Amino acid sequence: MITSTRKITAILVLMLFSLLLASCTPVRAWERGYLAKREMAWEPDGLKSALDKHVFFSKEASSGGNSAHGGGCGCN
Amino acid sequence: MLKKIINCLAVTALSLGFVSMAQAVEVGEQAPDFTLADINENQPAFTLSELRGKIVYLDFWASWCAPCLLSLPLYNDLHNKYREQGLEVVGINIDNPIEDGLDFLLDTPLDFKIPSDPDGETPTLYDVYGMPTSYLIDREGVVRVVHEGFRNGDIEKIEEEIKALLEQ
Amino acid sequence: MTRKNTATGRKSGPGSKKLLALSTTALALPGIAAADAPPPFSTLSYKFTNYQEDDISRREAPFGERERYDIDVHQLRLITPTGRNTSLQIDGNQESMSGASPWFNIAGADGDPIVNLSGASGIRDSRRELSIAGSYYFDNATLSASTGYSVEDDYRSRYYGLSGQTNLHQDLTTIAAGISYADDEIFPTDAELFNRVTKESKFSTSAFVSISQIINQTSTLQAALSITEQTGFLSDPYKLRDVRPEQRTQLALSSSYRHFFVSEDAALHINYRYYHDDFGISSHTLDSSWYQNLGNSLQLIPHLRYYSQSAADFYSNVDNFVLPVTENQSSDYRLSAYGAVSGGINLVAPFGDWLISLNTERYIANEKYSAYDVTQPGAGLVRYFRVSLGIDYTF
Repeated sequence: MITSTRKITAILVLMLFSLLLASCTPVRAWERGYLAKREMAWEPDGLKSALDKHVFFSKEASSGGNSAHGGGCGCN
Repeated sequence: MLKKIINCLAVTALSLGFVSMAQAVEVGEQAPDFTLADINENQPAFTLSELRGKIVYLDFWASWCAPCLLSLPLYNDLHNKYREQGLEVVGINIDNPIEDGLDFLLDTPLDFKIPSDPDGETPTLYDVYGMPTSYLIDREGVVRVVHEGFRNGDIEKIEEEIKALLEQ
Repeated sequence: MTRKNTATGRKSGPGSKKLLALSTTALALPGIAAADAPPPFSTLSYKFTNYQEDDISRREAPFGERERYDIDVHQLRLITPTGRNTSLQIDGNQESMSGASPWFNIAGADGDPIVNLSGASGIRDSRRELSIAGSYYFDNATLSASTGYSVEDDYRSRYYGLSGQTNLHQDLTTIAAGISYADDEIFPTDAELFNRVTKESKFSTSAFVSISQIINQTSTLQAALSITEQTGFLSDPYKLRDVRPEQRTQLALSSSYRHFFVSEDAALHINYRYYHDDFGISSHTLDSSWYQNLGNSLQLIPHLRYYSQSAADFYSNVDNFVLPVTENQSSDYRLSAYGAVSGGINLVAPFGDWLISLNTERYIANEKYSAYDVTQPGAGLVRYFRVSLGIDYTF
């Protein structure tokens, strides 16, 4: 039976590994045209991302991810 | 699998080393010479050494570089203002495909020379670190100032530097 | 490189490249320029959203109200450079909500839970929020500080945050970290009338760390970890019986991937999050979007999301009024084991310095979609439809 601590460790390790394996092609400053596109941003629409976080926070039990909590509300 | 990880760690370490053993063109060095085709097919090719005797402001830009939207019209003003006194602004466009650069110029026409380098030969030669980067080159072809990035208020400083060189 | 025939024609309207500025906000894009720098232009964004929940089914709520929440949201945001090394962000939100939410659950004749919505004490509330954030840009790092205030008829929240990021490996790698603190107070309406608590507090501290990596010219990968600790009054005072622990520790591990397909002129987003807390809830979230460029003036974005959570240790889909009030229990569907599938299509259209966006989402929660064991199917699981219209101006 895989305990949750082991599951979390496995996921962490997997992520770290994938990052290591991934960092293999130095991309120079003038080669970043594609990465500069709006659709390649982590969050192309800031207001939409903020609202999504708020809606899912109030309608589901989970929260968090790649940022620290914002403010609270009576919605949860 | 292990070999691949070691290989990647080596590449990452090397790119860290990039910073320390960089062949970056620095102040006081001779600006490397090059020849590039113009972004417009019907314009002649450009060679940097042909501008010896003039003050050259060499800028590396791309249509996708947000600060360039701010800097390029200002460089255009400088070019027109100091051309008679011996300033030549040169903006190397590194867009690939070239059409992106041409479309940009349709919206924002520029009066100075725009060589095209879609393969990145000149940024590699100059070891450009960020976009945009510009080099102020004196009449002997020596780099006097290197500008990385472009922020509000930078244009005043650049103008002062150009004026100082023009007076020498 | 060959010079293509310019058969595609003009790209977009005058000045539309200012759109680039929209993505150059702090933490928005990894390694676009060498130096961390404030956005070159200012952007003002407004978004209106209508959120509407489906009526609860007659089967689940044979008595009383069936209409659930209907919420209108206005969001306004300004991002502006304030100097050579600084920028400011101001956010203002206003929400108006009407409708009812589950008040209590009792067992029906067949043993299945019956949900009773708040009926006469139906909610009509509005929330206003204001937050300000400032950023300072160093050569290779950025530091940000923020504070905000949110107020409703029955709730008040004050929060503060500090975060920073730095670039390594010639800007191929970005490491970010931050902490935040919130201090909330709840003062339920009609407290005496319904024998509710009159005023309670909740404190929340949160921290995150993330690492982003440029893989190649068309791909980026991010991994993040966040941890939150809540203490104080965590129960729902509007439910007839809802008793939760006075402490909650939450952990979230997430990973995001972005890939640009050159020949398709489209980008793929994949995000995954694993969550676990000491209420006993674990969850998986997987969402994906496909940003398809159509010519140079339109972007079509279909998106899909799958979510599944396990139940809280003290969840019970029928309220047990026999249990002492010191014993943890809740019939809040948000603490039950269920899965949710949602998706929709978004549209983005740039016009010069302006950008219009349309977002749609249909969300359906169902215990049958759950990836976790369901011992007590949640009663009152929600289904909603959400639509937003946004407008951005860069100047």
